[in-house]
Amino acid sequence: MIRSALKISLPIMFGFVPLGIAFGLLFQELGYPWYFASLMGIIVYAGAAQFMAIGFLSAGLGIIEIAMSTFFLNSRHMFYGLAFLESFGNWNLRKLYLIFGMTDETYALMTTIKVPENYNKERYYLYITLFAQIYWVLGCTIGAISPGFLTFNTDGMEFAATALFVVLLIEQWIMVRRLLPFILGFIASIFALTFFVNHMLLIAILISIGSIILLRIIKTNNNG
Amino acid sequence: MDELEYLLVVIIVMAISTYFTRLIPFLLFSSGKESFILNYVAKSTPPMVMMILVIYMLKDVNYFSSEIFYTFLALAITIGFQVYKRNALLSIVAGTAVYMFFVQL
Repeated sequence: MIRSALKISLPIMFGFVPLGIAFGLLFQELGYPWYFASLMGIIVYAGAAQFMAIGFLSAGLGIIEIAMSTFFLNSRHMFYGLAFLESFGNWNLRKLYLIFGMTDETYALMTTIKVPENYNKERYYLYITLFAQIYWVLGCTIGAISPGFLTFNTDGMEFAATALFVVLLIEQWIMVRRLLPFILGFIASIFALTFFVNHMLLIAILISIGSIILLRIIKTNNNG
Repeated sequence: MDELEYLLVVIIVMAISTYFTRLIPFLLFSSGKESFILNYVAKSTPPMVMMILVIYMLKDVNYFSSEIFYTFLALAITIGFQVYKRNALLSIVAGTAVYMFFVQL
Protein backbone atom coordinates (compact mmCIF):
# COMPACT_ATOMS: atom_id res chain seq x y z
CA MET A 1 0.00 0.00 0.00
CA ILE A 2 2.89 2.37 0.80
CA ARG A 3 4.43 1.74 -2.61
CA SER A 4 1.16 2.33 -4.39
CA ALA A 5 0.63 5.59 -2.46
CA LEU A 6 4.20 6.65 -3.21
CA LYS A 7 3.72 6.02 -6.90
CA ILE A 8 0.44 7.88 -7.08
CA SER A 9 1.91 10.82 -5.14
CA LEU A 10 4.92 11.24 -7.47
CA PRO A 11 3.22 13.82 -9.73
CA ILE A 12 2.99 16.06 -6.66
CA MET A 13 6.74 15.73 -6.18
CA PHE A 14 7.43 17.35 -9.54
CA GLY A 15 5.38 20.33 -8.46
CA PHE A 16 6.40 20.62 -4.81
CA VAL A 17 10.17 20.10 -4.94
CA PRO A 18 10.99 22.90 -7.40
CA LEU A 19 8.43 25.24 -5.81
CA GLY A 20 9.87 24.47 -2.38
CA ILE A 21 13.39 25.15 -3.69
CA ALA A 22 12.21 28.49 -5.07
CA PHE A 23 10.78 29.33 -1.64
CA GLY A 24 13.96 28.23 0.13
CA LEU A 25 16.14 30.37 -2.13
CA LEU A 26 14.01 33.45 -1.42
CA PHE A 27 13.99 32.64 2.28
CA GLN A 28 17.77 32.44 2.25
CA GLU A 29 17.94 36.08 1.16
CA LEU A 30 16.23 37.13 4.41
CA GLY A 31 19.31 36.02 6.32
CA TYR A 32 17.63 33.74 8.86
CA PRO A 33 19.04 30.30 9.69
CA TRP A 34 18.07 27.75 7.03
CA TYR A 35 16.17 25.42 9.37
CA PHE A 36 13.41 28.00 9.80
CA ALA A 37 12.52 27.39 6.13
CA SER A 38 12.17 23.69 6.94
CA LEU A 39 10.16 24.55 10.05
CA MET A 40 7.74 26.59 7.92
CA GLY A 41 7.36 23.69 5.53
CA ILE A 42 6.65 21.41 8.46
CA ILE A 43 4.18 23.46 10.53
CA VAL A 44 2.71 26.03 8.10
CA TYR A 45 2.76 23.88 4.94
CA ALA A 46 1.09 26.29 2.54
CA GLY A 47 2.75 27.25 -0.74
CA ALA A 48 1.26 30.63 -1.53
CA ALA A 49 1.16 31.72 2.13
CA GLN A 50 4.84 30.91 2.60
CA PHE A 51 5.78 33.00 -0.42
CA MET A 52 3.63 35.80 0.97
CA ALA A 53 5.45 35.43 4.30
CA ILE A 54 8.76 36.38 2.65
CA GLY A 55 7.27 39.78 1.90
CA PHE A 56 5.80 40.08 5.40
CA LEU A 57 9.05 39.18 7.09
CA SER A 58 11.16 41.59 5.10
CA ALA A 59 8.62 44.35 5.76
CA GLY A 60 8.30 43.43 9.46
CA LEU A 61 4.50 43.38 9.21
CA GLY A 62 2.34 43.17 12.35
CA ILE A 63 1.17 39.81 13.69
CA ILE A 64 -2.56 40.57 13.34
CA GLU A 65 -2.18 41.54 9.68
CA ILE A 66 -0.18 38.40 9.05
CA ALA A 67 -2.79 36.20 10.73
CA MET A 68 -5.63 37.79 8.73
CA SER A 69 -3.84 37.76 5.36
CA THR A 70 -2.89 34.12 5.84
CA PHE A 71 -6.46 33.25 6.71
CA PHE A 72 -7.87 34.97 3.63
CA LEU A 73 -5.23 33.64 1.30
CA ASN A 74 -5.95 30.08 2.43
CA SER A 75 -9.70 30.41 2.87
CA ARG A 76 -10.38 28.40 -0.29
CA HIS A 77 -9.29 25.37 1.74
CA MET A 78 -12.55 25.69 3.67
CA PHE A 79 -14.33 24.25 0.65
CA TYR A 80 -11.84 21.48 0.11
CA GLY A 81 -12.71 19.73 3.37
CA LEU A 82 -16.32 19.27 2.23
CA ALA A 83 -15.27 16.42 -0.05
CA PHE A 84 -13.74 14.51 2.86
CA LEU A 85 -16.23 14.89 5.70
CA GLU A 86 -16.95 11.16 5.51
CA SER A 87 -13.80 9.64 4.15
CA PHE A 88 -11.40 11.02 6.75
CA GLY A 89 -13.09 8.82 9.34
CA ASN A 90 -13.40 9.38 13.06
CA TRP A 91 -11.63 12.07 15.03
CA ASN A 92 -8.12 10.95 15.84
CA LEU A 93 -4.55 12.08 15.23
CA ARG A 94 -4.63 10.73 11.70
CA LYS A 95 -7.69 12.78 10.82
CA LEU A 96 -6.14 15.90 12.36
CA TYR A 97 -3.08 15.36 10.17
CA LEU A 98 -5.11 14.67 7.02
CA ILE A 99 -6.92 17.97 7.59
CA PHE A 100 -3.62 19.75 8.23
CA GLY A 101 -2.17 18.37 4.99
CA MET A 102 -4.99 19.55 2.72
CA THR A 103 -3.35 21.52 -0.09
CA ASP A 104 -4.53 22.28 -3.63
CA GLU A 105 -2.47 19.38 -4.93
CA THR A 106 -3.47 16.75 -2.36
CA TYR A 107 -7.12 17.78 -2.62
CA ALA A 108 -7.00 17.55 -6.40
CA LEU A 109 -5.28 14.17 -6.33
CA MET A 110 -7.36 12.59 -3.57
CA THR A 111 -10.72 13.64 -4.99
CA THR A 112 -9.77 12.15 -8.35
CA ILE A 113 -8.11 8.82 -7.59
CA LYS A 114 -9.97 5.64 -6.75
CA VAL A 115 -8.51 3.96 -3.69
CA PRO A 116 -8.08 0.24 -4.47
CA GLU A 117 -10.84 -1.74 -2.74
CA ASN A 118 -8.58 -3.85 -0.55
CA TYR A 119 -6.85 -0.79 0.91
CA ASN A 120 -7.88 1.14 4.00
CA LYS A 121 -8.93 4.51 2.57
CA GLU A 122 -7.81 6.65 5.51
CA ARG A 123 -4.38 5.00 5.64
CA TYR A 124 -3.96 5.40 1.89
CA TYR A 125 -4.84 9.10 2.13
CA LEU A 126 -2.47 9.40 5.08
CA TYR A 127 0.48 8.09 3.06
CA ILE A 128 -0.28 10.37 0.10
CA THR A 129 -0.56 13.39 2.41
CA LEU A 130 2.63 12.47 4.22
CA PHE A 131 4.62 11.93 1.01
CA ALA A 132 3.37 15.24 -0.38
CA GLN A 133 4.52 17.09 2.72
CA ILE A 134 7.90 15.35 2.64
CA TYR A 135 8.40 16.59 -0.95
CA TRP A 136 7.52 20.10 0.14
CA VAL A 137 9.78 20.16 3.23
CA LEU A 138 12.58 18.62 1.16
CA GLY A 139 12.23 21.37 -1.44
CA CYS A 140 12.14 24.17 1.16
CA THR A 141 15.22 22.77 2.86
CA ILE A 142 17.25 22.22 -0.32
CA GLY A 143 16.47 25.77 -1.43
CA ALA A 144 17.40 27.25 1.93
CA ILE A 145 20.77 25.50 2.28
CA SER A 146 22.02 25.40 -1.29
CA PRO A 147 24.27 28.14 -2.56
CA GLY A 148 22.28 29.73 -5.39
CA PHE A 149 24.79 28.94 -8.14
CA LEU A 150 24.77 25.22 -7.35
CA THR A 151 21.08 24.58 -7.88
CA PHE A 152 20.09 22.65 -10.91
CA ASN A 153 18.27 24.84 -13.40
CA THR A 154 14.65 24.22 -12.49
CA ASP A 155 13.25 26.99 -14.70
CA GLY A 156 9.99 25.82 -16.19
CA MET A 157 9.53 22.94 -13.80
CA GLU A 158 6.61 24.83 -12.27
CA PHE A 159 4.65 23.61 -15.29
CA ALA A 160 4.40 20.26 -13.48
CA ALA A 161 1.69 21.72 -11.21
CA THR A 162 -0.29 22.93 -14.24
CA ALA A 163 0.14 19.54 -15.91
CA LEU A 164 -1.03 17.76 -12.74
CA PHE A 165 -4.22 19.82 -12.62
CA VAL A 166 -4.82 19.27 -16.35
CA VAL A 167 -4.41 15.51 -15.91
CA LEU A 168 -6.77 15.51 -12.95
CA LEU A 169 -9.27 17.65 -14.87
CA ILE A 170 -9.32 15.00 -17.62
CA GLU A 171 -9.75 12.25 -15.01
CA GLN A 172 -12.56 14.23 -13.36
CA TRP A 173 -14.28 14.45 -16.74
CA ILE A 174 -13.97 10.69 -17.25
CA MET A 175 -15.43 10.13 -13.75
CA VAL A 176 -18.17 12.75 -13.64
CA ARG A 177 -19.38 13.05 -17.27
CA ARG A 178 -21.66 15.96 -16.42
CA LEU A 179 -20.93 19.21 -18.23
CA LEU A 180 -22.51 21.57 -15.68
CA PRO A 181 -19.75 21.71 -13.00
CA PHE A 182 -17.06 22.18 -15.65
CA ILE A 183 -18.99 24.97 -17.36
CA LEU A 184 -19.73 26.67 -14.03
CA GLY A 185 -16.07 26.43 -13.03
CA PHE A 186 -15.06 27.94 -16.35
CA ILE A 187 -17.55 30.83 -16.23
CA ALA A 188 -16.73 31.56 -12.59
CA SER A 189 -13.00 31.63 -13.41
CA ILE A 190 -13.41 34.04 -16.30
CA PHE A 191 -15.66 36.26 -14.20
CA ALA A 192 -13.23 36.25 -11.26
CA LEU A 193 -10.27 36.90 -13.57
CA THR A 194 -12.05 39.86 -15.11
CA PHE A 195 -13.18 41.54 -11.91
CA PHE A 196 -11.08 40.17 -9.03
CA VAL A 197 -7.71 39.20 -10.47
CA ASN A 198 -5.97 39.33 -7.10
CA HIS A 199 -8.38 36.97 -5.38
CA MET A 200 -9.23 34.89 -8.40
CA LEU A 201 -9.11 31.45 -6.74
CA LEU A 202 -11.31 32.23 -3.77
CA ILE A 203 -13.85 34.29 -5.72
CA ALA A 204 -14.13 31.70 -8.50
CA ILE A 205 -14.69 28.90 -5.97
CA LEU A 206 -17.28 30.96 -4.07
CA ILE A 207 -19.18 31.85 -7.25
CA SER A 208 -19.15 28.33 -8.66
CA ILE A 209 -20.31 26.74 -5.39
CA GLY A 210 -22.92 29.46 -4.88
CA SER A 211 -24.30 29.03 -8.38
CA ILE A 212 -24.38 25.23 -8.29
CA ILE A 213 -26.39 25.36 -5.03
CA LEU A 214 -28.73 27.92 -6.56
CA LEU A 215 -29.26 25.85 -9.71
CA ARG A 216 -29.92 22.76 -7.61
CA ILE A 217 -32.51 24.54 -5.46
CA ILE A 218 -34.28 25.93 -8.55
CA LYS A 219 -34.33 22.47 -10.13
CA THR A 220 -35.68 20.84 -6.93
CA ASN A 221 -38.43 23.45 -6.65
CA ASN A 222 -39.48 23.00 -10.27
CA ASN A 223 -39.72 19.27 -9.85
CA GLY A 224 -41.93 19.37 -6.84
CA MET B 1 11.11 41.13 20.41
CA ASP B 2 14.35 40.24 18.67
CA GLU B 3 14.40 39.11 15.08
CA LEU B 4 14.33 35.39 15.65
CA GLU B 5 11.48 35.71 18.15
CA TYR B 6 9.53 37.72 15.59
CA LEU B 7 10.18 35.06 12.94
CA LEU B 8 9.09 32.30 15.29
CA VAL B 9 5.89 34.12 16.26
CA VAL B 10 5.10 34.77 12.57
CA ILE B 11 5.59 31.09 11.73
CA ILE B 12 3.39 29.93 14.62
CA VAL B 13 0.65 32.46 13.83
CA MET B 14 0.68 31.45 10.16
CA ALA B 15 0.57 27.78 11.11
CA ILE B 16 -2.49 28.29 13.32
CA SER B 17 -4.20 30.52 10.77
CA THR B 18 -3.63 28.04 7.93
CA TYR B 19 -4.72 25.06 9.97
CA PHE B 20 -7.88 26.88 11.01
CA THR B 21 -8.95 27.38 7.36
CA ARG B 22 -8.53 23.66 6.76
CA LEU B 23 -10.31 22.66 9.96
CA ILE B 24 -13.46 24.80 9.56
CA PRO B 25 -15.58 22.49 7.37
CA PHE B 26 -14.91 19.56 9.69
CA LEU B 27 -15.97 21.62 12.70
CA LEU B 28 -19.10 23.00 11.01
CA PHE B 29 -20.43 19.79 9.50
CA SER B 30 -20.24 16.62 11.48
CA SER B 31 -20.02 13.62 9.21
CA GLY B 32 -22.96 11.85 10.82
CA LYS B 33 -25.55 14.29 9.51
CA GLU B 34 -26.40 13.53 5.92
CA SER B 35 -27.48 16.59 4.03
CA PHE B 36 -28.66 16.32 0.46
CA ILE B 37 -27.39 19.75 -0.59
CA LEU B 38 -24.07 19.29 1.20
CA ASN B 39 -23.53 15.95 -0.51
CA TYR B 40 -24.33 17.46 -3.86
CA VAL B 41 -21.89 20.34 -3.27
CA ALA B 42 -19.17 17.95 -2.10
CA LYS B 43 -19.58 15.90 -5.28
CA SER B 44 -19.68 18.85 -7.67
CA THR B 45 -16.82 20.81 -6.13
CA PRO B 46 -13.85 18.73 -7.39
CA PRO B 47 -14.60 19.15 -11.13
CA MET B 48 -15.29 22.87 -10.61
CA VAL B 49 -12.14 23.37 -8.56
CA MET B 50 -10.01 21.44 -11.07
CA MET B 51 -11.27 23.67 -13.88
CA ILE B 52 -10.58 26.77 -11.77
CA LEU B 53 -7.08 25.61 -10.81
CA VAL B 54 -6.13 24.94 -14.44
CA ILE B 55 -7.29 28.41 -15.51
CA TYR B 56 -5.57 29.92 -12.47
CA MET B 57 -2.26 28.31 -13.43
CA LEU B 58 -2.57 29.61 -16.99
CA LYS B 59 -3.70 33.12 -16.16
CA ASP B 60 -0.25 34.68 -16.24
CA VAL B 61 0.78 33.31 -19.63
CA ASN B 62 1.94 36.14 -21.83
CA TYR B 63 -0.23 35.97 -24.92
CA PHE B 64 2.03 38.17 -26.99
CA SER B 65 5.23 36.13 -26.84
CA SER B 66 6.54 32.71 -27.73
CA GLU B 67 5.40 31.60 -24.24
CA ILE B 68 1.90 31.06 -25.56
CA PHE B 69 3.27 28.72 -28.23
CA TYR B 70 5.24 26.37 -26.00
CA THR B 71 2.66 26.52 -23.19
CA PHE B 72 0.02 25.20 -25.55
CA LEU B 73 2.42 22.68 -27.03
CA ALA B 74 3.21 21.35 -23.53
CA LEU B 75 -0.50 21.31 -22.69
CA ALA B 76 -1.31 19.41 -25.87
CA ILE B 77 1.36 16.82 -25.09
CA THR B 78 0.11 16.41 -21.52
CA ILE B 79 -3.50 16.06 -22.68
CA GLY B 80 -2.54 13.71 -25.53
CA PHE B 81 -0.61 11.35 -23.28
CA GLN B 82 -3.32 11.39 -20.63
CA VAL B 83 -6.12 10.66 -23.08
CA TYR B 84 -4.28 7.85 -24.86
CA LYS B 85 -2.15 6.32 -22.09
CA ARG B 86 -3.98 7.29 -18.87
CA ASN B 87 -0.65 7.39 -17.04
CA ALA B 88 -0.56 10.57 -14.95
CA LEU B 89 3.16 10.53 -14.25
CA LEU B 90 4.06 10.01 -17.91
CA SER B 91 1.74 12.83 -19.05
CA ILE B 92 3.13 15.26 -16.47
CA VAL B 93 6.79 14.43 -17.07
CA ALA B 94 6.40 14.62 -20.87
CA GLY B 95 4.57 17.97 -20.79
CA THR B 96 6.92 19.46 -18.22
CA ALA B 97 10.04 18.29 -20.07
CA VAL B 98 8.88 19.99 -23.27
CA TYR B 99 7.98 23.14 -21.36
CA MET B 100 11.36 23.23 -19.57
CA PHE B 101 13.21 22.69 -22.84
CA PHE B 102 11.65 25.80 -24.37
CA VAL B 103 11.94 27.94 -21.22
CA GLN B 104 15.64 27.20 -20.90
CA LEU B 105 16.36 27.51 -24.63
